[in-house]
Amino acid sequence: MRLLRAADLCCIFLTILAVLPRGELQAAEPLHVQIDRLIEAAAGEVPLAPRSGDAEFVRRAYLDLAGRIPTAAETRRFLEDSAADKRAQLTAGLLQSPEHPRRMEELFHAMLMERRGENEEWSKFLRLAFEQNLPWHRVAAAVLNPDADSEQLRGAAYFLTGRLVSEGAMAPVDVPGLTRDVGRLFAGIDLQCAQCHDHLTIPHYHQQHFQGLNLIFENVKTRRDVKFPAVAESVMKEKKEFKSVFGTEASFTGPVVPGGEEVAIMTFEKGEEFAVPPDSKTRFPGKPKFSPLSELAGGLASPENSLFARNIANRLWFVMLGRGLVEPLDLIHADNPASHPELLDLLARELAAHDYDIRWFLQELALTETWQRTSVLAGRETPPLTSYAVALEKRISPEQLFWSLGVATGEFDALRAERDAKAEGKPEAKPKQPAAAEEQTAEIPVPRSELEQLVAGSTSLKTLQKTVIDTFANPAKEPEVDFAPTVKAALYLMHDEAVQKLVSRRKGNLVDRLAGMEETAAVVDELFLSVLSRLPSAEEKTALVSYLDENTDRRDDALSNTVWALLTSTGFVVNH
Amino acid sequence: MKHAHCNTSAHQVSRRRVLGTMAGGAAGLSLGALGGIVHPAVGEQLKQKEKQVVLLWLDGGMSQLESWDPKPGTPYGGPFRSISTALPGVHVSELMPQTAKLMDRISLVRSMKTEDPNHSSGVPKILRGHPKNRGVTYPYMGSAVAKLMGPTASNLPPYVWIKPGSGGFISKYAGFLGAKYGALALGDGKPPENLVRPESISERNANERRNLQQLLNERYAARHRPDWNEANSYVYDVADTLMKNTKLFDESLLPDRDRQRYGTHDFGRHTLLARNLLEAGVRFVQVTSYGWDTHGDNFNAHASRVPKVDQAYSALIEDLYDRGMMDHVLVIMMAEFGRTPRVNGSVGRDHWPNAWSMATAGTGIKPGVVVGRTLDDGTDVATEPYDIGAMFHTWYHALGIDSKEVEFMNGTQPLPVAHDDMEPIRELLV
Repeated sequence: MRLLRAADLCCIFLTILAVLPRGELQAAEPLHVQIDRLIEAAAGEVPLAPRSGDAEFVRRAYLDLAGRIPTAAETRRFLEDSAADKRAQLTAGLLQSPEHPRRMEELFHAMLMERRGENEEWSKFLRLAFEQNLPWHRVAAAVLNPDADSEQLRGAAYFLTGRLVSEGAMAPVDVPGLTRDVGRLFAGIDLQCAQCHDHLTIPHYHQQHFQGLNLIFENVKTRRDVKFPAVAESVMKEKKEFKSVFGTEASFTGPVVPGGEEVAIMTFEKGEEFAVPPDSKTRFPGKPKFSPLSELAGGLASPENSLFARNIANRLWFVMLGRGLVEPLDLIHADNPASHPELLDLLARELAAHDYDIRWFLQELALTETWQRTSVLAGRETPPLTSYAVALEKRISPEQLFWSLGVATGEFDALRAERDAKAEGKPEAKPKQPAAAEEQTAEIPVPRSELEQLVAGSTSLKTLQKTVIDTFANPAKEPEVDFAPTVKAALYLMHDEAVQKLVSRRKGNLVDRLAGMEETAAVVDELFLSVLSRLPSAEEKTALVSYLDENTDRRDDALSNTVWALLTSTGFVVNH
Repeated sequence: MKHAHCNTSAHQVSRRRVLGTMAGGAAGLSLGALGGIVHPAVGEQLKQKEKQVVLLWLDGGMSQLESWDPKPGTPYGGPFRSISTALPGVHVSELMPQTAKLMDRISLVRSMKTEDPNHSSGVPKILRGHPKNRGVTYPYMGSAVAKLMGPTASNLPPYVWIKPGSGGFISKYAGFLGAKYGALALGDGKPPENLVRPESISERNANERRNLQQLLNERYAARHRPDWNEANSYVYDVADTLMKNTKLFDESLLPDRDRQRYGTHDFGRHTLLARNLLEAGVRFVQVTSYGWDTHGDNFNAHASRVPKVDQAYSALIEDLYDRGMMDHVLVIMMAEFGRTPRVNGSVGRDHWPNAWSMATAGTGIKPGVVVGRTLDDGTDVATEPYDIGAMFHTWYHALGIDSKEVEFMNGTQPLPVAHDDMEPIRELLV
């Protein structure tokens, strides 16, 4: 792990001095204070909305940091807590909870693989990385230059192998697509148009940037001699020739690191090119001494690379705040400025200086007033999105939706009750989950939270999880950034049998719990706390109490209908 | 405030635009699909007010030399002959005998000249009208029409795409317009999954659920920006509308005669469904036929495929004509480019955006016009060449939209609906 050098500290200090109002020399302020100051200054005349209410806050915090809504009990506990620093305590606690790494694994899996497929080794790699809060540049380096010898890291190769696939005769292996994704996801630059010529509208994306990166991946192939995802490089001997479709002159390039330099190709005497020679018996393809992937990883996944730093800062800001400082997230360049350029620079610098510590960064974001602001519009006046004067709505991922559906409907409670009943009936049988659940294939155990173990032990929940994700995810290769409800998803929620079961009465679930309550007003409160993580408004309470009271002869149906309505309302399916 | 257990359909009627006599509910309009049950008076109003589009897309690039612009007896002409048509002096490939008889009802452009020889970039360019680059992603024509004209009074989804393979909602076709204007894709023309309400949910429960949901959404809408709530509510409205129209997708209800006329192959079935969707009031229907990229064995492939297109296309033109729909439906058939006159080593033709053809007919289009011509050997356009932008101008004008004036608004950024520097092809317009 890279240590902070004195030079870096000086750099940071001087930079912090630079952003302070002139004439005021202060000790370096926490990042979250600086963030708020920059946001507020940029908002100018636009009035800033007040802080979110506690109910708004607790739901947002759980979704963002634990990847699910809070249970009714968790919500109640937070609402009733009178500690002055309860918000900071909550977010700190969530970041340290076993659910946070699961949330981050799911988030980065969707971000990096864009629904191309699943792989156990990849999942293990991601999960362990977030369990250990591995610095982002170490994560990225493992992806860009996979280490087949490390059991923990080798699954990272799936990012490459999952893309180095042929989809039939009409769709051969798409190396340019892989090149483009590396640029987009790790450097925040979409070089697609620069494949055939210098970018027509973005003067800073040159054809050489694309070709120099593409050449690295043209030199990579999937290894067939091992069972886990793995790649091998061939010996690179010379630069690559390329031509613009607009020109006739040829140019040459070696490997180019985005945001960095062209790498000189090292050549060797014949027979001396391999660090580990190929082995025809084991079909090991060999490991060349000159490794462009290693050069790429070293040059790109580095605190020195400003594109790399800005990209991750922008993407994490997007996750928490609902909009990138640069939009789209993969089009960072001089003519597409950030909405808050100074802020983006600050975030990038700080992240790099803190060794790309994602958990620390998320904590800082969670401490800002900006993140805590309410998303409720006071009057008719809607402030511009980029002002952050009102909190932005955020898309709920398919994974967040699945966990939240399970929590909201009490399905997990019902399953626990079922499982415990079974265990009681057989005193000799051991309870299903051991202290640390182990993956069958791995030697390094992958920690799985209690909820994940519940799902793993239930066929119906496993199926539900898969179906929810399939129904709500985008088609492969389409980033899930915009809110895009589909008719397919609406019909699924309306008519699918498994969903109907969730909202029907079942021992231990929400409808069951509500059916056992006497007072209708209390039922409505419990309903709202369980599904929408808040109490009902006076109007909502009146309407729903009267609906339930007018249908006492078909109470179960009325309860199911109400649960369904809350679950499919915008207030549930959006993170606000 | 609504009562939670009010009957939903009564509420919906008051919210929908309903034509005069059909106060019984939107459901009545949609049954017009099968056998023309639409009340004649309503049909009249529909015709006058509601223009529609059907786009038949021949993905991969149909060869103009084996269809609209044959050159028999020339070095590149290939083995097929040409036949005369209902238009004196105009010939098409012998592979299109049915269409030949109806040539006086359609029009051709033989002088298409576009720039992109690639599928992956070329297809979106053509479908977007390839306007001037302004750094935004323009919508596909279906999404553009969905935005500019909205759904018809039927309230069916305005952009429906019938295709082989899988279905789903393709939001990215909407470009900067926003996901709501994407295409509802029907895989193999099948209805979306979960379209039919299961027995376990009574109609009463279904109605109460929707009413309660709308109650909650109203409160959300009052406290937040409108867009996300609208998007979320919209898909349920579309679901409701589709549920009222499940008969549209029931192939067993189709007269056998129709099925035989259009052909029982994929393109025939899908074009017949397109006709039904048009009758029911879908604003923009797109049908895709794949497999036209004949780099090898071009002649056998076209011998097999073109007659199927001929069969379905001519049946569609005939039906639209017979039903009096030609005066409000715009019909387009095209691809991303044509094919090379030169035959390659695999007896195939490669991509040729330099000189290709397309056909158009219906509302606003003067029938029986052939725009431009190619050289005798087909290698280039001999008259004024037209890019796809010119066609978009032409089509928008045919639909009653002044494409030189009307603009999209992308936030605060005004954007022309078609290429600034191009014009409609006047000789094609009525």
